[in-house]
Amino acid sequence: MSLLSVRGLQAGYGKVQVLFNGHIEVEPGELVGIVGPNGAGKSTFLGALAGSVKPSSGSIEFQGTSIRGKKPEDIVRLGLALVPEGRAIFTDLTVNENLLLGLTGRRDKSGSAKAIAEVTELFPVLASHRGHQAGLLSGGQQQQLAIARALVSEPKLLMLDEPSLGLSPTIIQDVFGVLNKIQKLGTAIIVVEQRAHLIMSIASRTLVIREGHVRATLSREDAKDETKLAAAYFGAGADHE
Amino acid sequence: MIQTLLDALSYGGLYGLAALGIGLVFGVMRLVNFAHGELIAIGAYLMIITIDLGLPLSILIAVAGTAALALLMELSVFKRLRLAGPSVLLIASFGVSIFLQRSYEIIFGALPISGQIAPWMSGVIEFGDTTITRGSILTIILALALLLGMRFLIESTTLGLQIRAASSDFQTARLLGVRSNYVIGAAFVFSGVLAAAVAFVLVTQRGSVDPLFGVNITILALVGTVIGGLGSLQGAALGGFAVGATISLLNSFLGNYRVYTYTWLFILVIIVLLMRPSGLISNKAYKERA
Repeated sequence: MSLLSVRGLQAGYGKVQVLFNGHIEVEPGELVGIVGPNGAGKSTFLGALAGSVKPSSGSIEFQGTSIRGKKPEDIVRLGLALVPEGRAIFTDLTVNENLLLGLTGRRDKSGSAKAIAEVTELFPVLASHRGHQAGLLSGGQQQQLAIARALVSEPKLLMLDEPSLGLSPTIIQDVFGVLNKIQKLGTAIIVVEQRAHLIMSIASRTLVIREGHVRATLSREDAKDETKLAAAYFGAGADHE
Repeated sequence: MIQTLLDALSYGGLYGLAALGIGLVFGVMRLVNFAHGELIAIGAYLMIITIDLGLPLSILIAVAGTAALALLMELSVFKRLRLAGPSVLLIASFGVSIFLQRSYEIIFGALPISGQIAPWMSGVIEFGDTTITRGSILTIILALALLLGMRFLIESTTLGLQIRAASSDFQTARLLGVRSNYVIGAAFVFSGVLAAAVAFVLVTQRGSVDPLFGVNITILALVGTVIGGLGSLQGAALGGFAVGATISLLNSFLGNYRVYTYTWLFILVIIVLLMRPSGLISNKAYKERA
């Protein structure tokens, strides 16, 4: 059974529909990428899965049960966490307070201290800044905090919306290195990225979203083929599906 | 002179409590709740009606009743308007405010009801040749205790952390698991408790209550939250304090010309807002509730 199984998902804001046909399958422990041009509906897709955007039709099954239409605060308790675009850390709160907030989404509160210890091991820089105001961290550190904050709820599926946004190339390498580690620890991951090559090199599969439709699913081998990627991305030629 | 300062501090504390009550609700749901005044009024009504049961029980009933009405407002009206914009919420709060004022008129009558609540509050204490009123000292102690209590609650508890997070970015707080209804409900209950405290002090000063009992202080406290910086709890309390203390000081300095107190108050308000349009403590993380 897939960890996440989504079919025919439609979503938007008010009368403006953005996502027309979102579908995705994620197996436990798998890393799946989502790429596509600006405004293609990638963030809306993740938002609909996390519950912050209300889907208008389609099905979302997480661990075999439907989560469509559930509230975000309930979905995170089921084990599906989203790191939103732009990191969205609480800049006025301390690093520690940000992490504590992440614990809200845990169902099992007894493992809280252990979860905090584990993420600070994964992101040592957070340990040394625990008492500092989060807004004083660098962009890369803030991104690490955002990921760590989502991880303390011990999600089975972690979703990241453009984690590389505004970061320098070396920092991006660090962040993606951490994603690899998280995956090895058994957490499935969905990463939305503008930088297609970056994500395709570590994802087992990458979906291409364009104009609100999932247009293609590319394997890691496809990623090396520029023409296939360009065709999927810009819509030249036939779709792969 | 000492009495003047104590009055300023006690007025400031009182208005600070009212402003914090308004600021708490504004923080989590971007609602400027005009019906806060009717919460203060119900607190005063409940105290006057039940004072024969003894002061402690009367205060307990007033606090519980006011908090319950605050929660009822949220559950019956504002909860249904979660997806509405701030202007709709504002108009809805006018509606709740007017509805409650008229209800009080029907239930309790349009004329003031008087009652003696804690008459010892109006007594004086003599220190050599200076006398000070007990009321001002007790108001300062009450306001300080409640402000420090709220500060502890907001700064040092899990619920407080969730309220702070929800105040700065509601969407993200929910993504992390913060339950929106719980946090908003809690903010309303706390604002009700603060309204009851304001009601207690006001009713001991005035000795009577009428349907419009809480309107004046609510409008002035709102001015305080704006001066302090909308969206910042510290700012709300501080802004409320500034407005209250200024009113008290103007009243004593203007003497026979105290009809001009509010003229001067609003001149000062305009000057402050011209210099700091986003308030004394601006909330950088100000974001609209989704």
